[in-house]
Amino acid sequence: MDIFANLIQGFHTILTPYNLWMATVGCFFGTIIGILPGLGASATIAILLPLTFGMNATSAMIMMTAIYYGSKYGGSTTSILVNVPGEGASVVTTFDGYAMARQGRGGVALGISAIGSFAAGIIGTFGLIFVCVPLAYFSLKFGPAEYFSLIVMGMLTIIFVGGKSVVKSLISAVIGLSLGMVGADAVQGAPRFVYGIPQLIDGIDFVTVVMGLFGIGEVLVSAEEHMKTKTVNVKFKDLWPTVRDVLDSKWAILRGSVIGFLVGVLPGAGATISSFISYGIEKGVAKDPSRFGQGAIEGVAGPEAANNSACSGAMVPLLALGIPGSGATAVMLGALMLYGLRPGPMLFTTNPDFVWALIASMFVGNIILVIMNLPMVPLFAMSLRFPYHYLYPPILMICIVGAFSVNNSVYDIWVMWIFGIFGYFMKKYDIPAAPLVIALVLGPMLEYNLYRALALSLGDISTFFTRPISATLMAITGLMIIAMFFKAVRSKRSMLEEEEN
Amino acid sequence: MKKGDRVLAIICMGLSIWLILESLQFDYLSEFGPGPGFEPFWLGIILGILSVVLLVNTFVRQAGEEDHKPRLPGMAALGRVGLIMLLMAGLAFGFNTLGFIVTMFLFVTLIMFTLEHFSILKSMLYGIVLSGSVYLIFGYWMEINFPIGFLGI
Repeated sequence: MDIFANLIQGFHTILTPYNLWMATVGCFFGTIIGILPGLGASATIAILLPLTFGMNATSAMIMMTAIYYGSKYGGSTTSILVNVPGEGASVVTTFDGYAMARQGRGGVALGISAIGSFAAGIIGTFGLIFVCVPLAYFSLKFGPAEYFSLIVMGMLTIIFVGGKSVVKSLISAVIGLSLGMVGADAVQGAPRFVYGIPQLIDGIDFVTVVMGLFGIGEVLVSAEEHMKTKTVNVKFKDLWPTVRDVLDSKWAILRGSVIGFLVGVLPGAGATISSFISYGIEKGVAKDPSRFGQGAIEGVAGPEAANNSACSGAMVPLLALGIPGSGATAVMLGALMLYGLRPGPMLFTTNPDFVWALIASMFVGNIILVIMNLPMVPLFAMSLRFPYHYLYPPILMICIVGAFSVNNSVYDIWVMWIFGIFGYFMKKYDIPAAPLVIALVLGPMLEYNLYRALALSLGDISTFFTRPISATLMAITGLMIIAMFFKAVRSKRSMLEEEEN
Repeated sequence: MKKGDRVLAIICMGLSIWLILESLQFDYLSEFGPGPGFEPFWLGIILGILSVVLLVNTFVRQAGEEDHKPRLPGMAALGRVGLIMLLMAGLAFGFNTLGFIVTMFLFVTLIMFTLEHFSILKSMLYGIVLSGSVYLIFGYWMEINFPIGFLGI
């Protein structure tokens, strides 16, 4: 009953003209920027973060979540029409989406993607409500030891699951943790790595790092060449899937939604893995699996539903525990902190209006997206034909404005500039940026909780292994490390065997 | 890729040594637990181990398809990237002196003129449209206080 009443209250907040407008603007810009090849959800949110400056926290986060969903949808558009996935989660969509586009069914692929994403968004948001609330109340039992163990587990999952190389992901995370140490430390307030630069006392600002790594870094990679995209034309009349198409996809959408949500809840796993799992399952249950890769509509519907539902799943650890499960939610966590909010269990008791408005906005955002996207797909597709050299200067300008407006200081533009170069080379050398960003956000929390846990236990390190919840989390972490070790050994062994043969 | 990974491993090794040396300036332990020097010290150690693993890996593993692809683009593409960053640095230098609108206008105009080979007139026109629009959205509508230059704008 409480949940229902709170949700109604959330709808009261979101259904004001201003908040509805913010959700619409977020959906629109999220889709437009997300459509640009190579720019994923994290980059889109980072680039558009300045648009929320000056707003109240609720409206700002309503806009951010709308951007998040919009960018996911925009990413599918490029996968289907250009065969260029905006990020990992859209890779699977290229398999059958682009094949459908080449067969003249690009509009249908985009249409079913919009319908699947909408259904998954709604299912995922219901999942979020029913998992997030009990989890948030359960995590009220967490003390510093539990938080420390949870952060360690969350970070390791992200590292182990994401990226091509575990070593590079770990390096990225260590660099993020190191950057998080800059400024006054949590124990004695001693200034670390400040070198007489007064701005560094408060640490390195998260927003400037994110905009540099994701915004400037991605734009630099795209601006290397005079980029030309070959798009497949879409006409409005070709856009609507037939009843047959929808019926063929209904189970794929449902399965994708459930898988997406469940996988999305796990830190690090998220949209990419869920879309691959969904594709695998659809292929497995299909009567004729050979259709997959040749333009099977279930191959678009399932993964698209999964990656959208995973967005709702990824909000669970963010809202209930204050732990981001992906690069995009790390950016959102940073944004929340920027607005003076601390995600985690207390958010549900201290700022229930905010939390429920945000959850209600996910329902509304998904409805806005499907209403906006179905008729506007030809327009969005047209934007792909807009030469990239017209697009990157305004993106750079928005990033510059965003960095400057953090503290009204040119210093932040310089910080972003440095991280822009850093982000470019990280991309070139396949070092994932998400672990760095997540570690930068979680690093100070990690150190603070470590210190507090040890202070409360009078320096007894066994506190992490004797408290039941903390011990369970540590055991899971240990099992993950062992599993990773065996996986590495096995793959090395099979490589050697291949060499011998 | 292997060469790139080796360079990366060496950079990380340097970073690791620097972290360890810096950590020695702080107390390793406090009254009940870690002091300010604890985290940098261990991060330095972990980074050192990771860089060794990365380095060793480049010698042990078999070269794959990815290893034969160049990681960095050609000089022309690098030049484009370098020029964008140079123009952005120029913008940062001139931001307070020339003011927001003028620096943004110059930034866009120079990008379009030098990198995209637009005519000077077309570049300037695009510069005016973009700097004006961005100012309207962020300066006027969102009321962000941008610096005003010596020209009074």
